[in-house]
Formats: sequence, structure tokens, C-alpha cells
Amino acid sequence: MVAVQGKVQREPQREWVLLTYRFPREPSTPRIAHWRALKRLGAAQVRDGVAALPLDTRTREHLEWLADAVLEAGGMAQVWIARLASVGDERRLVDQMRGEAAREFRNFIAAVSAAVQQRGSDQRRSVSALRRELRQIMSRDYFRVAERAEAERSFRALLGRVEAVA
Amino acid sequence: MKWATRRECHVDRAACAWLIQRFIDPAAEFVFVDDPAKVPADATPFDMRGVPLSHHQGDCSFETFLRRYGLRDTGLWKIAEIVHEADLDDNRYDAPEAPGLDSLIRGLALRFKDAPLLGVTNLLFDALYGLQQPAALQRRERL
Repeated sequence: MVAVQGKVQREPQREWVLLTYRFPREPSTPRIAHWRALKRLGAAQVRDGVAALPLDTRTREHLEWLADAVLEAGGMAQVWIARLASVGDERRLVDQMRGEAAREFRNFIAAVSAAVQQRGSDQRRSVSALRRELRQIMSRDYFRVAERAEAERSFRALLGRVEAVA
Repeated sequence: MKWATRRECHVDRAACAWLIQRFIDPAAEFVFVDDPAKVPADATPFDMRGVPLSHHQGDCSFETFLRRYGLRDTGLWKIAEIVHEADLDDNRYDAPEAPGLDSLIRGLALRFKDAPLLGVTNLLFDALYGLQQPAALQRRERL
């Protein structure tokens, strides 16, 4: 049992959207595009052929499009709305996704530190790539990990330096 | 003509609805359903699973519309790039407008139901399209 806001939580509260899928052996191109799309969405790969995201209209819609793409490629796919049967299982899945988001933000912060050392057009290029990367990592940080604010702060500091030099 | 799409419109559906009204069917009527099985028999479905006017081969529904209706207008393709990146964010195009458009429409969708939402988003897409026009056409009298 887990205490949440003073109440004892006996049941998992969250709904998930699952994509189950199987590709035909060949060709491999749609499989790679599919893998990239799941990465971009920050889906948890629960096991081979099963990906999970916290349910909202956006995540559901994206997994539905991916399901259609699998069908178009001659494979099999289903979209499910699911709830985990235990609080512990849910917490482990959430922790796994939080850990992944935190790792991405830490890598981002390291890349920002590297960009601080750069000058001129190299730095300007890094800044626009980092801006885009930060936005994408934030879009798949479904549980707002602590590293998020730190990543935003470090990027703002980098922008400040760029302007100061210019 | 009647057109059907899913409830809770976001950028791709809003853009398709604008395209339909401005370039395909000025008298378009929209029906919003929560299940593809509930599309009325006399309506053309779009941006829903398993229908032709939808995502295909990495295209968003707006791009599919442009291809299916043979619309080659460069202004519309510029909008397609923005809509694609706002919807899919897969770096296929460089569209710095995309994150802003995405935020605006998500915010508007919190305030408006689908039908009135499309009224407001039509203004946004008219504005984006206007920016793509040659300068001579841009200098029309303002309201």
C-alpha cells in the first residue's frame, strides 16, 4: 500500500494505453520507423511487441496511428486501454519511465555544458539543436521529473551567455 | 457535403477542417464522433483510423488531403510542414512555427468545444496562409 496525499492507495489509479504489435519478417524499414516513433513518444517497451504510455488523447491517438502503420506494413497490431493490477507494478513502470526521462535530461545538461565552451556559429548551431531537443524530451517527460527544471535552467543560462557575447 | 472526424480536435484535424472549408467544400458540415463505427453513412470520414483521408506512410492527414486532392499550392505545403511537425514532431521538416501553433491550439481546445474551436482555428490557418501569399496580395485592406 502506498500513501498518496494522506490517503492510503489500494488500487492503481492510472490508465494506460498499450500497443501490441507484430511485424512481418521483411521489410525492416517500417519496423525501424516504428521503433523511432516509440522512442520519440517515450513509450515504455514492456516487452517485445508491447509498448505502454500513460493514457491521454494525444498518446492514444499516436499509438492508434502507429497501429495503423503496422497494419499497413502487413503486420498485426492492437491498441488497448489498460490498468495495472497492483500499485507496486504501476510504481515500477512509472519509476522506469521517470528514470529514462531523468537520464535524458542529464545527458541534455551535459550537452549544454559542452555548448557553453563553444563560440560563434558552432555555438549558435548547438543552441538551436538543443532548443529542439529540450522540447522533445519535455514532451515525453510524462511524470515531470526533478531534472526537468534543472535542464530548463541550464539552457536558459546558456542563452544568457550567447546574448552576452553577441 | 458531410464530413466526419473524431472528437477533441487538435492541430491536424483543425487544419484538415480549414482546408476542406477553404479549398474543397465551402458548404462543409462537420460531425464529431468518438468511434469510427459511428460515422454517419452520408459523411466522409477523415483523420480517423482505417480511413483513406488519414495518416499514411509517415504523412499526417493534412498532407494526405493535399496529395489526394492534387493541391500543389506552395502556401498549402508550407502549412503542411508546420502541421506535420506540430502533430508528429519527427524532424521531417524545419518548421519553427510548429511548437507555437501546437500550444495555441491545445490551449484553445481547453476553452472551446469542437465546432466553435474550428471557427477560431480557421482564423489561425487563414493567417498562416496569408503570410505565404505574394506581397501584392498581402496588401489588401484590413478589417
